[in-house]
Amino acid sequence: MAEMDPVTLEILWTRLITVANEQAAALQRTSFTPIVRESGDLSAAVFDAQGRMLAQAVTGTPGHINSLATSMHHFLAAYPEETLRPGDVLITNDPWQTSGQLNDLSVVTPVFTGPQLIGFFGNCCHAVDIGGRGLSADANEVFEEGLSIPITKLYDQGEANEELLKIIKANVRAPREVVGDLHAQVAGNQVGATRLVEYLEEFELDDLAGLSHEIRSRSEAATREAIRQVPNGTYRKVIHTDGIDEPVEIACAVTIADDEILVDYSGSSPQVSRGMNVVLNYTAAYTSYALKCAISPEVPHNDGSFKPVTVTAPEGSILNPRFPAAVAARHIVGHFLPHAVLGALAEVIPDRVIAEGAGNVWLTTTRGAGPDRFVTVFFASGGMGARPNQDGPSTTSFPSGIATAPVEITETTSPLVFRHKELRPDSGGPGKYRGGLGQRIEVEVRTGEPFVVSSLSDRLRFPAEGYLGGRPGAPGGFETSIGESRNPKLSNRLPEGTTFVLELPGGGGFFDPAERDPAAVAEDVAEGLVTPARAASDYGLEVSPDGAGAD
Amino acid sequence: MTESLRVAVDIGGTFTDLVLHEGDRLVATAKTLTTYPDPAAGVAQGIGDLLAEWPHENVTEVVHGTTLVSNALIERRGSVIALITTKGFRDVLTSGKEQRYDMYDLFIQMPEPLVPRRRRYGIDERVLADGTVDRPINLDEVAALIPSLRENEVEAIAVSFLHSYRDPEHERAAAELLRRELPEVPVTISSDVSPEVGEYHRTSTTVANAYVLPTFDRYLHRLEKDLEASGIDAPLHIMLSTGGLATADTARKFPIRLLESGPAAGVLAAAFFGSQDGGRSVFAFDMGGTTAKAGLVEKGAPLIAREHEAARVYRFTKGSGMPIRVPVVDLLEIGAGGGSIARIGTFGLPKVGPDSAASDPGPVCYGLGGDQPTVTDADLVLGYLNPEFFLGGKMKLDSDGAQAAVASLGRSLDLSPIDTAAAIHRVVNENMANAARMHAIERGKDLRPFTLVATGGAGPVHAWGVARALGIARLVFPPHAGVGSAFGMLTAPPSFEFARSLPSKVSGVDWGGLRDAVDIMIQNGRSELEAAGAGATGMSILIAADIRYEGQGDSITVELTPDPDELDGDLVNDRFLGEYLRLFGSRPPDVEAEVLTWRVRVSGPAPRPEVGDVVTSMDNPHKGTRPMWFAEAKGLVTGDVYDRYSLVPGTILKGPCVVEERESTVVVGPGGSIEVDDLGNLEVTIDG
Repeated sequence: MAEMDPVTLEILWTRLITVANEQAAALQRTSFTPIVRESGDLSAAVFDAQGRMLAQAVTGTPGHINSLATSMHHFLAAYPEETLRPGDVLITNDPWQTSGQLNDLSVVTPVFTGPQLIGFFGNCCHAVDIGGRGLSADANEVFEEGLSIPITKLYDQGEANEELLKIIKANVRAPREVVGDLHAQVAGNQVGATRLVEYLEEFELDDLAGLSHEIRSRSEAATREAIRQVPNGTYRKVIHTDGIDEPVEIACAVTIADDEILVDYSGSSPQVSRGMNVVLNYTAAYTSYALKCAISPEVPHNDGSFKPVTVTAPEGSILNPRFPAAVAARHIVGHFLPHAVLGALAEVIPDRVIAEGAGNVWLTTTRGAGPDRFVTVFFASGGMGARPNQDGPSTTSFPSGIATAPVEITETTSPLVFRHKELRPDSGGPGKYRGGLGQRIEVEVRTGEPFVVSSLSDRLRFPAEGYLGGRPGAPGGFETSIGESRNPKLSNRLPEGTTFVLELPGGGGFFDPAERDPAAVAEDVAEGLVTPARAASDYGLEVSPDGAGAD
Repeated sequence: MTESLRVAVDIGGTFTDLVLHEGDRLVATAKTLTTYPDPAAGVAQGIGDLLAEWPHENVTEVVHGTTLVSNALIERRGSVIALITTKGFRDVLTSGKEQRYDMYDLFIQMPEPLVPRRRRYGIDERVLADGTVDRPINLDEVAALIPSLRENEVEAIAVSFLHSYRDPEHERAAAELLRRELPEVPVTISSDVSPEVGEYHRTSTTVANAYVLPTFDRYLHRLEKDLEASGIDAPLHIMLSTGGLATADTARKFPIRLLESGPAAGVLAAAFFGSQDGGRSVFAFDMGGTTAKAGLVEKGAPLIAREHEAARVYRFTKGSGMPIRVPVVDLLEIGAGGGSIARIGTFGLPKVGPDSAASDPGPVCYGLGGDQPTVTDADLVLGYLNPEFFLGGKMKLDSDGAQAAVASLGRSLDLSPIDTAAAIHRVVNENMANAARMHAIERGKDLRPFTLVATGGAGPVHAWGVARALGIARLVFPPHAGVGSAFGMLTAPPSFEFARSLPSKVSGVDWGGLRDAVDIMIQNGRSELEAAGAGATGMSILIAADIRYEGQGDSITVELTPDPDELDGDLVNDRFLGEYLRLFGSRPPDVEAEVLTWRVRVSGPAPRPEVGDVVTSMDNPHKGTRPMWFAEAKGLVTGDVYDRYSLVPGTILKGPCVVEERESTVVVGPGGSIEVDDLGNLEVTIDG
C-alpha cells in the first residue's frame, strides 16, 4: 500500500485518538454510576477490521490497558467477521478473556460502511454490582462471585437482546444502574462509530488499513528503540503482600533481550481459594503499565506497542489461575505488580523508577446487617514511593488511577460519620527523598443495628520497601473501638455504634536518609510530617517542633 | 449636551485595553502596556489618555476586568494566610482527590496547597450531612489561636468546616470572633464563597479567595483613589468570571469570582458580534501568542461551568491545578498560539506546541533571537501575513529568517519549505479542532451549526482552517478585535448569581422552606443590582437547580422559572426530564430525581452598544495580490489582499484572500464569501 506522508499521518492519528476520547466522553456522560463517571473506572478503544487495537482513550485504569486489546481477539474468535452484521453489539464479562473480574463488562460494536466491516469500538466498564457475594475476596470459586456472561450478542442487527437483559436485571442488586451503564457503553461505541465513518469520508479513506499499518509499525519500532536503551540482562525482584490466610509471594524476572522484554512470574505463589487470584490478562496489564511508565511513556498503547512485550506466569499460580478460581478482588494482588517490575528494573535504570508505595487502593465496604439494607463503598490511598529526585506524593493512588469521593458526599449517602481523616506523621519512609505519607481515617457508623465492614487493604504485615538505602514506609493498620484484632479483608460483623480506624501505609524512601538535606528534614518537622523524635532517630538531626536547629 | 460616558478597562498580561462609550456608541479606544508591579498606575495613565478630550465628570460608570487574581495564583504572589477546619480534617487540600492527573508520569508533581500545614488549624465542632449539629463549636479553641495567628503575621484567614453549606452558623461564629480579635485581618468563610457540597473543592476555593484578597483589596483602593483624583465620580463595577458584574465592594470580598474576568468579557464580545439577536449559537475562538481559548454561546448567553481549575502545575493538564468552584464562563484553553514551536515528535511526525516562544524571544520572524520555527513563521511563509504590515507596520517581519527556520525543520521531514509551513499550520489547527470537539461532546453539543467568531492576534489567521476541520460553515471576524474584552464589558447586563446546596430527593423537598431560601437570594440580588445602579425596570430573575437521577454521579443545571411561588415537585421533575431527554435521548427506568444545589440569577437589562465607524480610509480597499497556500487548492494560489479599514458595509468579497488589519489578518480560502455588515463585521460563509 502507498506510504502515507508524515503530515497526513500525524493528522489522521491524532484524530483517531480524539475519536476514542469522544467515545469515552460520551460513555461517561451518560453513565449512572460515580465509579464510571468520576472515578473513571473504564476503558475505551478503536480497533481495525482484524481486531487490532489502534488507539485507546485516556482514562484512569491501567488494569484495562491491554486486556481490552486481548479481549477483542476472543470476541472475533467467538463471532468471526462473516457472522457480524450492522447493528450488532457483543458483550462478555468472562474474567479470563477480559480484565479479570465479573464486574467488568466489555461491550464491542463492529463498524460498517455499507456491507464492509471497517473496524470495532470496544469498551470495558466496572459494573456497580454483578450479583454473587458483592465485590469481596470472600468467594472460593468464581461461581460464587456473580453472573457470568459468555460472549453473546447484546444487540442483533439493532434489536436489543431482551432475554439477556432480563437475566442480568434479575441477577444484580442494582439493576437500573447496571443496565443503565450498559446503555451508556452501547452509546459510547455508537458515538465513536459515527465519528469514525464521518472521519473516513472527510479524509476520503475507504478503510483503516493504511493508517492501521502506519500506527502499528511506528509504535512497535518506537517501543523496540526504547527497549534497546536498557542494557540486556535478567533482573529479578521478589515482593510479598499480606494475602488473607497466607502471605502472597510475587517473583518477577524481567529479561531485556535487545529490543524485546519478557516478564516471567515463575516462583510466585500458587492460586488460592480466595477471591484474589489474578488472571493472566490483568497480570499482563499491570506489568505493561509499569514497563511503559519506566521505559516508553511517550508511545501510545496500541497493538504495535504491545508486540515487543511478553508476560508469562505458570498456570495454576496466583498470577495465572485456572478456572474456576475466585478472582473478584484481584486488584489487592495485581496492584503490587508494578512494584515488582519497577523493583527489578531498579537494578539497571534506578533513575527511572520509584520506590514501593502503599500498593492497592483500599476499598472499604460497609453494609447494614439488620433490616436497614444500606451499603456504601469508599476508596482511600496511602503514600506513593519516593522518587530518585524528589519525595513521594502523600495519599495518592498508585498504580490505580481511582479518585476518592469527598467525605461530605459519602456522609450524605450513608450512615457513616468520619471522625478523622489526616496524614499520619512519620509514615513516609525515610530517605534522601522521603516516601509519601499515609493517612488515618476514623469512621463511626450511625445505625441502630449491627453492621458489616470489610476493607480490601494490605501492607499490614509487609510495609513498602525503600530503594537504594531508602527505608520502608509505615505499615498499615485496622482497628475497631471494641478492641478485638480482626482481618480487615474479611466481612467483619460489628455491634452498633462501633468505630473503625483505617491506617493507610506510607511509601518507601529513596537513597540513604543520612543524605537528606537537613533543611528538608526541618521543614518536614515544622509541617508536622515528621516528629522531632523520628528526625533524631531516622535522620540523626535534633530539630525542635517549629523546625529550628536542624543544622 | 453631552451624553453620559462609560469606560471599560481590561488588564491583560501584556496590554491594558480601554474602551469609551458615549451613550451606547463606541467613541474611543486605547491600549497601554500593563504596568508591574502596580497595574493601577497603567490604568490611571490609560484613562487619562482615553478621556483626554472628554469631560471626566460626565463618566457615569467604569467597568473593570483584570487578570490580577489569576496571575497572583499562578505566580503564587498572594498573602500569608491561615486555614481553620473541622478538627481532624486539616489535610483536605493535601489529599485532594488522591488521584494522579497523569497516569504514566512517575515524576508527577502535585500542586502545593496555598496554605502550609503549620498554619492549618483544626477546631472542635461538627455539623452532620443532614445539617444537625453533632458537636457545637468550641469558641475557646478559636480564641486560643489568636496569639499564633498574630505571631505568624497572618494577613487573611480562611474558614472551612464540614457540611457548612448545610448550616453556616459555626463558620459565622468563628468569623465573628476572629474579626473582633483581629479587626485588620479579613476572614473568608466557605459558606459565603462557595456554599456547595464537597469539602475539597469548597476549601480550595475558600483558601484561594483568602490568598488573593489582601492584594486585590489594596489594588482596588489604589484604583478608586486614582479615579477620584482624576475627577471621575462614578461607580466602579467589576466583571466576574461569568460575565456578570459586581460592585467593587462585593468584588473585594470575593475576588476569586473574577478569576477569569478578561476571558469572560472576550466571550461576551464574541457573543455580541456573532449574534446580536442571540439567534445563532456562537463558538468564540481566541488565539493569541501562547494559548488558544474557546467558549460556547447559546441564545446569547455564554455556557457557564460550575467550576474551574486555576494555576495548573502542568499548564494544560486537567487535574494539575487547584479547583475553584464558583460559576465561570466555560472556557477551553490549549497550548496553541502564534508562538507555538514546531518540532519532530517520537515517531518522526510533525508536532506543534504546547512549548511556545511567546513574545520573548518570539517567532524567528520577529528577529528578536528566536531560532525555532513557530506557527507565526509558518503563517508568514504561507503568504498569510504581510511582513511590511505586522501590527499595522510597526514591526517588520524577517521573511528570510522564517523561511530558513521552516526549511530546516522540513529537511527532517523530507518536505519542501512551503509544505512544511502548511504542515505546521494544519497540525496546529487540528490540535485546536480536536480539543474543541472534546469540549463540545463533554457538554453534549454538536459544533457544526455554530458560528465561529475569531479574535486575538492569531485567531483570524487560523479560523478558516479550524472551521473547515470542525465542519463549521459560518465565521464572523469582528472589528476592534484588539480591544475585544474591554468592549465585551460594556455589552454585559449587570447580573448576580447565588447558589445554595440543599441535597434532597425531589419528593422530599420542603417547598415552603425552599421558597423562603430562594426569596432571600432574590432579595440579595436585587440590592446588589440597585447598588450597581440598575433600576427596578427590566430586572429579570432566573431560578435554576443542579439535578440528577438518584445514583448518577453528575448533575445537569436545569433552568426552572422566574417565580419562586411556582416551585414544586411537578415543575422540577418536568423541566429536568425535558432537559435530560434533550441531552441523552432516553431516561433510566424507575429512578427518582434529586436536587443538589438551587441557583438564583438576578440580571438587569442588557445595554445594546453601537460599534462606531471601522472605515477610516476612502482608499481602494484592494491593496494587491500575493501567493498564498490553501489546502483546498492543494498548494499556492494567487489571492487578493484587502485593507480592513477601507471596507464599507455591504462590500462582498471572495476567497482566496486576506484582509489586513492592525492587530491581525483575516484569512479566507477558496470557496469562502465575505460580506461586510453594518457593524463592520466580516461575515464569512463557506460553500458546500
